[in-house]
Amino acid sequence: MHSVTQQSSTIAKEQPWYSAKKYFSHQHQRRSLDEWSLGGILIIGVLALFICVVLPLYSLLSKSVENREGEFIGLANFAKFIDTPSLYSSVSNSLFIALLSMVIVTSLAFLTAYAISRTRIPLKGFFRIVLVLPILAPSLLPAISLVYLFGNQGILKEVLMGESIYGPIGIVIGSCFWTFPHALMIMLTALANTDARLYESAEALGASPMRTFFTVTLPAAKYGIISVAFVVFTLVITDFGVPKVIGGQFNVLATDIYKQVIGQQNFEMGAAVSVILLLPAILTFITDRWLQRRQSALLTSKAVPWTPPVRSIIDKAFFALMILVSSIILGVIAMAIYASLVTFWPYNLSLSFKNYNFDLMDGGGWDSYWNSIQLGLYTAVIGTGFIFFQSYLVAKLAGFKLLKWFFHLFAILPLAVPGLVLGLAYIFFFNAPDNPLNGIYGTMAILVVCTISHFYTVCHLTATTALKQIDPEFESVSASLKVPQILTFWRVSLPVCMPAVLDIASYLFVNAMTTVSAVVFLYSYDTNLASVAVLNMDDAGDIAPAAAMAVMIMLTCMVARLIHWLLGNVVLKHTQHWRTR
Amino acid sequence: MSNQTYLELHNIDQMFGTHQALKNVSLNIAEGEFVCFLGPSGCGKTSLLRIVAGLDTPTSGRIFQAGRDITHAPVNHRDFGIVFQSYALFPNLSVADNIAYGLISQKVSTNERRARVTELLATVGLSGSEGKYPAQLSGGQQQRVALARALATSPGLLLLDEPLSALDARVRAHLRQEIKQLQEKLGVTTIMVTHDQEEALTMADQIVVMNQGVIEQIGTPQEIYANPISPFVAEFVGEMNFLSAKVSGVGQMQSGNLTLHCDSSSTLPIGQAAQLAIRPEDVRFQADNSAGNILNARVLNLEFLGSRVRSSLKLEDHERPIIADISMNEMSRLNLVLGQNIVCQFPHDRLHIFGGAA
Repeated sequence: MHSVTQQSSTIAKEQPWYSAKKYFSHQHQRRSLDEWSLGGILIIGVLALFICVVLPLYSLLSKSVENREGEFIGLANFAKFIDTPSLYSSVSNSLFIALLSMVIVTSLAFLTAYAISRTRIPLKGFFRIVLVLPILAPSLLPAISLVYLFGNQGILKEVLMGESIYGPIGIVIGSCFWTFPHALMIMLTALANTDARLYESAEALGASPMRTFFTVTLPAAKYGIISVAFVVFTLVITDFGVPKVIGGQFNVLATDIYKQVIGQQNFEMGAAVSVILLLPAILTFITDRWLQRRQSALLTSKAVPWTPPVRSIIDKAFFALMILVSSIILGVIAMAIYASLVTFWPYNLSLSFKNYNFDLMDGGGWDSYWNSIQLGLYTAVIGTGFIFFQSYLVAKLAGFKLLKWFFHLFAILPLAVPGLVLGLAYIFFFNAPDNPLNGIYGTMAILVVCTISHFYTVCHLTATTALKQIDPEFESVSASLKVPQILTFWRVSLPVCMPAVLDIASYLFVNAMTTVSAVVFLYSYDTNLASVAVLNMDDAGDIAPAAAMAVMIMLTCMVARLIHWLLGNVVLKHTQHWRTR
Repeated sequence: MSNQTYLELHNIDQMFGTHQALKNVSLNIAEGEFVCFLGPSGCGKTSLLRIVAGLDTPTSGRIFQAGRDITHAPVNHRDFGIVFQSYALFPNLSVADNIAYGLISQKVSTNERRARVTELLATVGLSGSEGKYPAQLSGGQQQRVALARALATSPGLLLLDEPLSALDARVRAHLRQEIKQLQEKLGVTTIMVTHDQEEALTMADQIVVMNQGVIEQIGTPQEIYANPISPFVAEFVGEMNFLSAKVSGVGQMQSGNLTLHCDSSSTLPIGQAAQLAIRPEDVRFQADNSAGNILNARVLNLEFLGSRVRSSLKLEDHERPIIADISMNEMSRLNLVLGQNIVCQFPHDRLHIFGGAA
């Protein structure tokens, strides 16, 4: 469930992170004690990322070429994977689902983003909020909702004309639902950069609106569209929540890993499938890096914002589309809420909170909900503190070029690792008896560490972008005034970057609440989580309580976003009055 | 101004990869002096300033400040205040907090701090702005706050990195004066980096003209302007016409058919190729026959510049036209028109000679 939405416009104009040349130039500055101690913290940061990201992935890779006894067997696991027809068919199933979802979501995201940024439809603010709502819910919520809508006892079962929702249809709809907000956010960024002068030139040269669209609008959004396509493809192919709930007998790669590891305890095969699952993610990652450099080159000139003209037919058509998409999203969410409140579907439709009595069900009860809150808070507080301060050191500490190069590499890496793969890698690494960190296995600590690592990249890039925007000479000035750098961080850099810090905290909290993929391998009896409880209750047939727990997660995330909004718009307005003239 | 050397740079080299930004730069700066590093972008002037500040380390060479070797001293162990082109004012701190920023770490008491801020604001002409935030100030005002902040800790050395380039022309001219007066009043040794020759000429006690990582010339503004040591300096500081010529005798140069007499005690051997140069304002139109160096020319173009007219003249037997500036007073007497043939004179004491072909 990692998202690359917020970083789509980030490392622009910067040299590519991998261009090692600029990091290895010879320099021999004598450092002050101040710089040495901050450098020490940076070293700790690099080591932490090395232990929490690189080493687990190494364990996973080595496990995939070993047999159960730990002997090196080359690619035998992969060969076995290809020879097993049921496993191999899940490759084509996964590709089919991911490609279809990619086409649907990319088209819809382009049209809706176009409606928001390039038309004169009313209620844009409302649509914007509704369309990103699914990001606040676990990916399991749409799947459960679909069961109630189109399942065996679903209220709209007839619409499918005899086809079953359990299978590709359900997976595609559910996947589209939860990946849509990620796609929309990238697309909005891509379409936000208009240059009125281009449109005026096109008009002055007599181009038809259609020709203007194909020669001006579409080329400018080209990289955004490609980026969305890749991101959606990866999100869908690595997600296992939706296919688990609504996939029926339709196997995909992500559920295979889960079954191999949780069902059959076949860790080696799980590792092999994980490595295969890494491939599309790495491909997406490389494409995205490449695209961003191309995109940034496009945006160098100072553009004049464009105001869309009144085009009544087009505006009406887009308004209708927005109503339709919003209704579907609200409908799916409403269905989940309704289902969670119905006493006993479909026989006793009276409303009650019976399904919220989680303690009566298997799956962890209310404890799992509080565990999730705890995980969310720890992740937000510790994660934001660690990520922001380390990003600050990478961006603003003088020297330590080699160290920074490695840090950046390690910080970008998690973007290419699906949650499921990371979770499995954590088992291999932290559960190894000879690992001195073995003690955190099965505790809340490993969940926090794993969640921070899982969502590291977007936060790191958000922080880096914010830090790059502040004057690069602040540190030089404070050094010339003999003020320790840490004091300048506290008095200037941190307050100036407060909005970004809040963004990171809120992003981490919401993702910690909704994520299933990595933590499903890592929770223990004492650290059951709400999102995992949804999965387990659904597995046990307690679908209504599963819906109720999913609704609880969504409501909690909404409250978190509301607090974020309040902090950002009310509290910060007071402390940040220096921003206004 | 005392003549005691305050800052010494010995044989500074700076390499960025394979690019040599500074080549064997040596320089002495006297206490209380206002020095300008002047040159086009990429000439190494900012690299040199950053080395003095300790923001970069030279590849080789040594730096002494007040007798102390500071070549490898970290920034916060050096004694200087700095004003950047961007001012780098802390946006979330008030003017008073910005200025007092360096005082807090010096453990100055609150009252003294407040008094010092008030005093500095009065010095830079911004009394009463304590509570404002940088975003509420104009560019010129921000510049003064940055200056006050740099001076707050009474540093021995003030570094100014293109401090006026972000301001519009009027404010710039005004601040030029103010900074110079303030510097004289405080007597603080100051280095300013600039690419603007006018700024350097009006403000500096000494100008260091730099080009491609080396120092071309060091001298007072008058020296630099009147006796440029190289064609580069001549062209970069003020404007200059060049004629290719050959040494044809003692104090005598041959350029095409023209034989010109000159003062400059040049050591060039007879027959050596050289460049003859004259500034546009030094071309005379009132021929003094006894002095020689009289030329026939045709007016190719006239450009009205307000207080003067810039003429473009085609010299007899010379491809490249020269430019000559004529004051409005003289113009009203001469009444030049396009295509007119006129007589002009190159005063021998205003001719510059540079060795080597053009």
